[in-house]
Amino acid sequence: MSGRRVALVGGASTRWGVRSATWSELAQEVGAALFRAVPRLRAEDVDSLFVGAAEPERFAFQSHVAPLAAEQMGLRPRNILQRTELACASGQSAIRSAYAAIAAGLSEVAVAVGVEKMNLPSMSEANSAMGCVMDRPWDGPHGATAPPFFAMVAQRHMLEYGTTEEMLAAVSEKNHRFANSNPNAQFYEKTFPREKLLRLPLVAPPLRLGDCSSMTDGAAAVVLVAEERVREYTDTPAWIRGTGQYSNFHNLAHAGSLTDWVGLKHASREALGRAGISVHDLDLAEVHDCFTISEIVEYEALGLCPPGEGGRFAADGRGEVGADLVVNPRGGLLGCGHPLGATGIAQALEVFQQFAGQVPARRQAPDPGWALVHNLSGSANVHSVMVYGREAA
Amino acid sequence: MSAPPSRPRRPAPTLVPPDPAASPPAPAASEAPGVAPRPREKRPFLLDFFPLESEKETRLSRFYDRLREGRLSSTRCPRDGELHWPPRTACPGCHSEELEWIDLPEHGRIYAFSAVLAGAPLGMESEVPFAVGLVDLEGAPLRLFGRIDGRPWSELRLGERVRVETYDIGDGRWFYRFRALP
Repeated sequence: MSGRRVALVGGASTRWGVRSATWSELAQEVGAALFRAVPRLRAEDVDSLFVGAAEPERFAFQSHVAPLAAEQMGLRPRNILQRTELACASGQSAIRSAYAAIAAGLSEVAVAVGVEKMNLPSMSEANSAMGCVMDRPWDGPHGATAPPFFAMVAQRHMLEYGTTEEMLAAVSEKNHRFANSNPNAQFYEKTFPREKLLRLPLVAPPLRLGDCSSMTDGAAAVVLVAEERVREYTDTPAWIRGTGQYSNFHNLAHAGSLTDWVGLKHASREALGRAGISVHDLDLAEVHDCFTISEIVEYEALGLCPPGEGGRFAADGRGEVGADLVVNPRGGLLGCGHPLGATGIAQALEVFQQFAGQVPARRQAPDPGWALVHNLSGSANVHSVMVYGREAA
Repeated sequence: MSAPPSRPRRPAPTLVPPDPAASPPAPAASEAPGVAPRPREKRPFLLDFFPLESEKETRLSRFYDRLREGRLSSTRCPRDGELHWPPRTACPGCHSEELEWIDLPEHGRIYAFSAVLAGAPLGMESEVPFAVGLVDLEGAPLRLFGRIDGRPWSELRLGERVRVETYDIGDGRWFYRFRALP
């Protein structure tokens, strides 16, 4: 990696779920939580703020959210202040932008925050907001939203490789179980055994309710600093060692193979290559399980298993603690919920806490040295990947 | 994308300059292919997925004019031969703005499908359950996403042949969808 080294030195999350709180109140709440979690951080240290927010205009009738978030969090950014929007990957975009700014010497101490308020009095209005992530005048009038698209991915994967509903349920059961060790998760203290998952109602066949991540209110924030400043804040930094991104389509007509996510192959190859490691060196991965089938296709595109064997990878428990690597120990999007702009931030926070040994034992990767965070956005149109290492070089 | 459909069924006028003869009046509802339109409440623009279609609002109004004639069409670039979807005003390959219109095939086969059983956007709740899918058009290198009407989702099959139909959405605008064959 060229430029200065950059590390993540701490962060915090609000409780996620159906929250009795507005967009601004979630931003205030995460600001307060951040300063409690990183006690050596002073507001005046923070020269830049990057705000991951996917659709505040639709969900909160609010635009120009970067200065709004700064004010709610008690920050006065003086170098760079901006919102990053990349639908479901808006949070990771905030982190990548903060990383780029620090590496380039334009910032010393930056906060990347993600805030999303998704539960509205009218759920059909919220569903419309999700629908306009698609190519709205072409795909939208047909009723396209995320579930039917990922359902078609599942249908093709079942046809081409024999993947089963039980394999989908294995992903959901694992991630909901991990979420039970995460008090911030939407589905904390809710159990989803596989038999129960297979009886939940269909949302978009073959996907059932338990195969889909939820509409979630929540916020998360992390602090990123230049290498010279790291020791001011923590003894257990998570160093950004690689990053990659790839997009090859937007309109659904150009999706190509639904089961071969070329964009993720490119983005992960780039990120892992920059870090100088192989996917098999990873100790944990936070991948974008917006739907159970997503995690299965991601195992394959990341190269954790051959094409078509992602369902088997899940059913065999190879993403559990003590197996090949731990996948989505935080509880994933399925277990934590998916407040679009906050998800990528909370995934990075999980990496920091895993490296620092701060998570409950039942989700702790054994002595982790390397972690990967992945977000897709839209109908898997874009793949964004970051690789973190416990060592600076 | 490479090979365009070999034989457009109708002459393909150029997109630019505009052809003033290209906007015939819409047929009466009873002449329309597909089903009779339902009267439709006007929704605020930012809650309406259907696009604005008139010449005043879009440079692709010819696309919608052709829907009124029962024709699903798109643009093709005469310079590099690329057939586009959706129709465009500039070719993504060579950036030429001199594009021609071409009718798309009337049939295709289902590549993948699902159905919306919950979580429909505003204004579509009453249509639940409805099927959607990706359809490989016959004789054109295009795979289009669209609503599949005409049969319950649970009775659709992969590879099944469907036809394109255009329809009046109920407020004077037209759109397209697929229909399962009897």
